[in-house]
Amino acid sequence: MTNVRTLDVSHLKPYEISTQAPLWWGQFMFVFIEGTMFCILIGAYFYVRLRMDVWPPPGDQFPHKLLPSLALIPLILSCVGTYWAGEAARRDSRSGMIGGMALNLVLAGIALWMRIVEWHSLNFNWMTDAQGSYVWAFLGLHTFDYIGDLVFTGVLLLLVLIGRYGPKQRLGVYVDSIVWYFLVAIWIPIYIVIYWGPVLVETQQ
Amino acid sequence: MTATQDIYPQTPTLDQDIQQLAQSWRHPRGIFGWLSYTTHQAIGMRYIVTAFVMLLAGGAEALMMRTQLMHSNNGYLGPERYNQIFTTHGTTMMFLFAVPMMEGMAIYLIPLMCGTRNVAFPRLNAFGYWMYLFGVLFLYWGVFTNAAPDVGWFAYPPLSGPQYTPGKSTDYWAQMITFTEVSALCVAAELIATILKMRAPGMSLNRMPLYVWSILTQSWMIIFAMPAIVLASSYLLSDRTVATQFVNPAEGGDPLLYQHIFWFFGHPEVYIIFIPALGFVSSIVVAHAQRELIGYTAMVLAQIANGFIAFGLWVHHMFATDLPQIGEAYFTASSMMIAITSGVQIFCWIATLWSGKPRLTTALLFVYGFIAIFVLGGLTGVILASVPLDLQVHDTFFVVAHFHYVLIGGAVFPLFGAFYHWFPKFTGRMMNERLGRINFWVLFAGFNLTFFPMHILGLKGMPRRIYTYSPEMGWDQLNLLATIGAYIIAFGGLLFLVNLFWSRKFGAIAGNNPWNADSLEWAAASPAPNYNFEYLPAVTSRYPLWVPAEERTFVTGTRTDRREVLVTTLMDAQPHHRYILPRPSIWPLIAAICVTVGFAGSVFNGWYITWGTIISALALIGWFWPKRPLDPAHD
Repeated sequence: MTNVRTLDVSHLKPYEISTQAPLWWGQFMFVFIEGTMFCILIGAYFYVRLRMDVWPPPGDQFPHKLLPSLALIPLILSCVGTYWAGEAARRDSRSGMIGGMALNLVLAGIALWMRIVEWHSLNFNWMTDAQGSYVWAFLGLHTFDYIGDLVFTGVLLLLVLIGRYGPKQRLGVYVDSIVWYFLVAIWIPIYIVIYWGPVLVETQQ
Repeated sequence: MTATQDIYPQTPTLDQDIQQLAQSWRHPRGIFGWLSYTTHQAIGMRYIVTAFVMLLAGGAEALMMRTQLMHSNNGYLGPERYNQIFTTHGTTMMFLFAVPMMEGMAIYLIPLMCGTRNVAFPRLNAFGYWMYLFGVLFLYWGVFTNAAPDVGWFAYPPLSGPQYTPGKSTDYWAQMITFTEVSALCVAAELIATILKMRAPGMSLNRMPLYVWSILTQSWMIIFAMPAIVLASSYLLSDRTVATQFVNPAEGGDPLLYQHIFWFFGHPEVYIIFIPALGFVSSIVVAHAQRELIGYTAMVLAQIANGFIAFGLWVHHMFATDLPQIGEAYFTASSMMIAITSGVQIFCWIATLWSGKPRLTTALLFVYGFIAIFVLGGLTGVILASVPLDLQVHDTFFVVAHFHYVLIGGAVFPLFGAFYHWFPKFTGRMMNERLGRINFWVLFAGFNLTFFPMHILGLKGMPRRIYTYSPEMGWDQLNLLATIGAYIIAFGGLLFLVNLFWSRKFGAIAGNNPWNADSLEWAAASPAPNYNFEYLPAVTSRYPLWVPAEERTFVTGTRTDRREVLVTTLMDAQPHHRYILPRPSIWPLIAAICVTVGFAGSVFNGWYITWGTIISALALIGWFWPKRPLDPAHD
């Protein structure tokens, strides 16, 4: 057996909180899947929209732009909290993780509340016509993911608060951030499509 | 090369405790334990067995169709039943047999070939399997309660819409798609992570076996293609159940858009099935010709190019719709481009076989059969890529002949070859070669007898999806030939089953590497133990088992008292950190049941989506709730 060539790895760390972790790649793939879906949905929206003479269809009012535009501010700022929590997770700073995740949850909650208020004022729903179906699909799918991520951020915050966490949960905090960055980033084209799309694309004659 | 050699220490110490390793990887006992398995061999084999049962179901449906079309004015199946049978056949073969079978093989083989102990996310793997199984049960529950889908495996609206197909059958179909896409996406994500981050030290990207490349390509295709079918089936389902207007032209929706989105998934889907089969062929050719592959780089590039081009030719399924001519020209050109990348691969295999010393085993016979059938199917593909010819034979049996030549020739023949090739690794015993040869020739003859006459039938104008025809059409004789061929295929399938069960009990003991093959799975014992390798291998060559034994290198220093593996860097596979895989768990099954309640219930009542989401979220929190010890550095 002494002639066997070996490679000793016992000195390597038993975990890693960085982009080298397989879980980071798993989350990255989740982002790809969701991103592809939203891109196809945006393409489909314009396919339908460009075949219509009048858009939005008669009777549907233009969505208001003020509140959703203002909602972008807390939404984008919430990424600061995410970044803070992710970096704190790498350093194993409990207070940093708590502060970062709490900031993220508060700002994201404000943005969500503003979105829902505006959503309520729409005078059409998913059954009204194709534009209604698309607007509700964008809002519904994105908000579903959004609330889902907030719930899991909340659970991670709870785990850190009660001290029931180790490197695995810190890695969770770290990879949670890429999902949040994605949800914020993909919201910007969706926001443009929903609130500015009817204005920006000229009606064909 | 030099970089990997630098990391080999000079004084070896082999101090791992094999008994402890087996103990850490032991399956939990009892029925509850059985439901908690997370090893890739167990999950992979569950996929393979379930998908094989689906192959038999789809095959039985095919036989019913061929029996109905045996002669003109046959009254065996009525038109409604015939519609149900061909829809269920197509759906079963595409969604419930072909893709899950390829995934099952990959789940079993990829960790072995990469030289690791399991996939990157073993619990997600188990969850994916349960979702697939529940999707199978959901569709077949509909089939057996006389609510089988009857609008074709692609369910085009407006036929599949709420006005023209009331009842629940299309809802079952659309929601079954959701189950299988969740499963496929889970598998794709975990296989990509496994391939990119868990390869054996030294297995840089340019040393990966072609089968691993093919699964990497296929998994990325799943990531980009499946979201399209998520949308298509959701359009259909929500239009039918909650009255959205996505595909309703009266309210601004667009049925043609459904076709675009469906085929943006549907064409890559075919390659998702067939690219892993190309990987099988490469593995079999190298092992049975006993020679390094000619044109490795060209093969890898051709395979990846296949993956890209696959997303740029979906419209050739829609040439009969009203499209701009420039679009038709573009999609004709891109469809023909596939012939280049496929041709490169065919020539590389032929060159490898030609210059090697091929042993004419059953596995290799199936590869020869694949080359013959697939080239023929490729040629009719070039014909169909051309718009005027396509319009002439659109929706005729010529198309049926074409896609069975590419799908059975391109995927099922390599799959049977793969069974003969890897059966020793799965079970520890060899399959019977003599019966295997008979098996091959029966299948080959039966296949050509069934599907070759369909080319002529199509050219004579026989349309697809008709339940019968009148005698003056002159289609009787060729249809009878095809039906005889179908029964010969069924007999070939029976021979395979006999060989399978006989060999499992009485086959010759295989040993680790019966074919003197080159890749790492043959370094593990047969059948592969739960932990795969006593010592994780490190590799210095593209053909790691063909280097002299004294030059092989093993990894030491991973702990054996828990499920620990090694994570390596993406390009060069340098050791980076150790990674602890989770213990067996019942949570994936609980989560899959909760998601199933939401999916299945929503067909009947929209509120199930809400309740299903809430219980699924609770199940996921239970799944991820931290168990002690929390810190791997201190246990």
